Amino acid sequence: MQSDWTFIGLFLIVGALIPAAAIVVSALLSPRKPNPIKDSTYECGIETVGENWVQFKAQYYIFALVFLVFDVETVFLFPWALSLNQLGLFAVVEGIIFIGILVAGLVYAWRKGMLEWV
Amino acid sequence: MTAAQIIFLITAAVILGSAFMVVTTKNLVHAALWLIVTLFGAAVLFATLNAGFIAVVQVVIYIGAIAILFIFAVMLTRRSMTDTGPGLNRGWWLSAAIALLTFGGLVWLVSGWGGFTKAAPAYPSGFDAVAALAHALVSPEAFVLPFEVASVLLLAALVGAVYIAFQRKGEE
Amino acid sequence: MPQPQDYQTLLPVIVLAVWACALLLLDSFLIQRKGLTACLAAAGLAITLGLTLSQIGRSSSGFSGMVVLDGFSTFINALQLVSGLLGVALAYAYVKRMGIERGEYYTLLLFSVVGMMLMAQATDLIVVFIALEMLSIPLYVLAAFNRTQAASEEAGLKYFLLGAFSTGFLVYGITLVYGATASTNLSAIFAAASSTSNLLLTIGAALILVGFGFKVAVVPFHMWTPDVYQGAPTAVTGFMSSGAKIAGFAALLRVFATAFPAIAADMTDILWALAAVTMILGNLVAISQTDIKRMLAYSSIAHAGYILMAFVPYGNPAVAPVSIAAGLFYLAAYVITNFGAWGVVIALEQPDGKGLQISDYSGLFWRKRGLAVAMTVFMLSLIGFPPTIGMVGKFYLFRAIIDGGFTGLAIIGVIASLVSAFYYLRVVVNMFMREGEQKIEREFWLDLTWGAAAFLTVAISLAPGWLFYLASAAGLR
Repeated sequence: MQSDWTFIGLFLIVGALIPAAAIVVSALLSPRKPNPIKDSTYECGIETVGENWVQFKAQYYIFALVFLVFDVETVFLFPWALSLNQLGLFAVVEGIIFIGILVAGLVYAWRKGMLEWV
Repeated sequence: MTAAQIIFLITAAVILGSAFMVVTTKNLVHAALWLIVTLFGAAVLFATLNAGFIAVVQVVIYIGAIAILFIFAVMLTRRSMTDTGPGLNRGWWLSAAIALLTFGGLVWLVSGWGGFTKAAPAYPSGFDAVAALAHALVSPEAFVLPFEVASVLLLAALVGAVYIAFQRKGEE
Repeated sequence: MPQPQDYQTLLPVIVLAVWACALLLLDSFLIQRKGLTACLAAAGLAITLGLTLSQIGRSSSGFSGMVVLDGFSTFINALQLVSGLLGVALAYAYVKRMGIERGEYYTLLLFSVVGMMLMAQATDLIVVFIALEMLSIPLYVLAAFNRTQAASEEAGLKYFLLGAFSTGFLVYGITLVYGATASTNLSAIFAAASSTSNLLLTIGAALILVGFGFKVAVVPFHMWTPDVYQGAPTAVTGFMSSGAKIAGFAALLRVFATAFPAIAADMTDILWALAAVTMILGNLVAISQTDIKRMLAYSSIAHAGYILMAFVPYGNPAVAPVSIAAGLFYLAAYVITNFGAWGVVIALEQPDGKGLQISDYSGLFWRKRGLAVAMTVFMLSLIGFPPTIGMVGKFYLFRAIIDGGFTGLAIIGVIASLVSAFYYLRVVVNMFMREGEQKIEREFWLDLTWGAAAFLTVAISLAPGWLFYLASAAGLR
């Protein structure tokens, strides 16, 4: 058990080191001759308009909210799936009820028109 | 010092430092990003405690969903992104003192408890913690009722959250 | 596998939860007139009330000790369902008048009642926690239900933030208790507690007390109450001030009496202090209020203090049954009176937010006698003046407390009641002795609510024996 986490930890460290190294190395090696056009924000060739921090649409938030609820559901379903074999039919019924109640929530959200992009 | 202790100290330092940044930084987006570091540190703590499932849940829900929700919420409220008002009000030292006192009191009280210095017993070999947790959560002899109630709770929370957040046509 | 007995133990809760889910879908698909949703919600509550009443005298436990059905839970659940019904009755016309008539109102109310009922039946800290969330989250949303009003939104946000904060205390307390006893089951905690060092358990129990203290608005955890009660739609406030209090006290009593008798010596002192401070502060601050909703909010804080008084001797088996019965009686008396008072407030409230000052009650008696007389009855009952149910409740309560050897606390309670007469009577004086004009809303269900509450407030005080008998039978053993 402990050794598994060691690998994950090593992976995280290496994963963080590689991009960091890329940035450091390019900062060390690259020649630096700045001018105003080079320093401007690059946005696929078009000149940028306005600030870089724009206000999001409220719609994103609704989606994130619905996602959060179903994310939590996933977390609950993972242990349910693990013990499915041991518990048999009872667990199946239990899972159906669990999912069914949350599907009611999804249906409600859909009926209220929240899943439409306006 | 064992390796576990070193990892713990580093993690604890990261958690404390980033948590401090969360409450002191004036930029809300940065605060949300620092919060992700804090939450990740907590996940590492869970992992070192052999609570693998909880560690993964921490990453999936807190970082994967809740922190994202925070960032969305910050980006929705444009005015507050440029808010440069004072981060502390006049009473900050009072609440800091109360927090420190409470913390000190709890440490003092809990250190008098016999189990404080005991090491947790290791798992028996071949023990699958996640499977045991899974079984406890859905088995009829254990926590099946809270499991099902949790889904009703999630439904109620969804309905409520959606009612509050949804901008209906013709409103404002 | 769960046996039929498991489901029977929890039958009313299950029925109401299914009803709430079905109502959510029905409302979003079929129902155009939201009044129908209200009627269906009331029907669900009435059916559940019938089921609950059919369970009188039964006792069983279910889902491997997670929940229990006993006289206590039946009494609390019946009270809970009545307050749910009254909550629907108050809201029916009010939401139309305020322009917030939406089906979600009633579904959320049902979900909240589900949480409250589950809380009274829970015998496991995990279930207590989940039930608490189940009752709180809909209440946060209901408090913010009038979304276009800043005050309502502020109330919802405040309630949510402080509620989440208090839940943190509760969960931390549960963790420490689990750490001390290696169980979340209340009777297992009791068994483990008597044999081990109880330091960790005491800290955990104190933190749990803080968590519940927030919910029932006990000083010093009451800071949210006036703002939330004032900002929330009045019909929500009426429901919240009764329902959340009943559930909070039920769970507090169940958890402490079942799991923590071993540390009763420590806890009794803490409860004593909390009850005393709550009665004093709630009543003193209420004097300076000019807004009727804020005044009733502080009055509800003060009443939380009176009810908490009944729990002080919870660890003493010789006294506890009588004092807890007195506490339950007082709780029932408070619910009836409180709903009546909020009903009158709703009758005078205008859609533009006017009509909520105490001065707006001036001359009410000369405009509408019935309403003024009813309000007088409620105010007298809240003071504890005869012939009202509040007087009977206070009598039982103070007698039980004095018998339990807490004469000092009883004296504080009596003095606090005397102080409270000042601000309650001010409303009465305004209604009878001052000149004024007001617009009064006449709605059938609203009139019925305050009318019936006024009738019961007087009628039960004339023959209180049966209710006290029920409360005694409901006491935890």
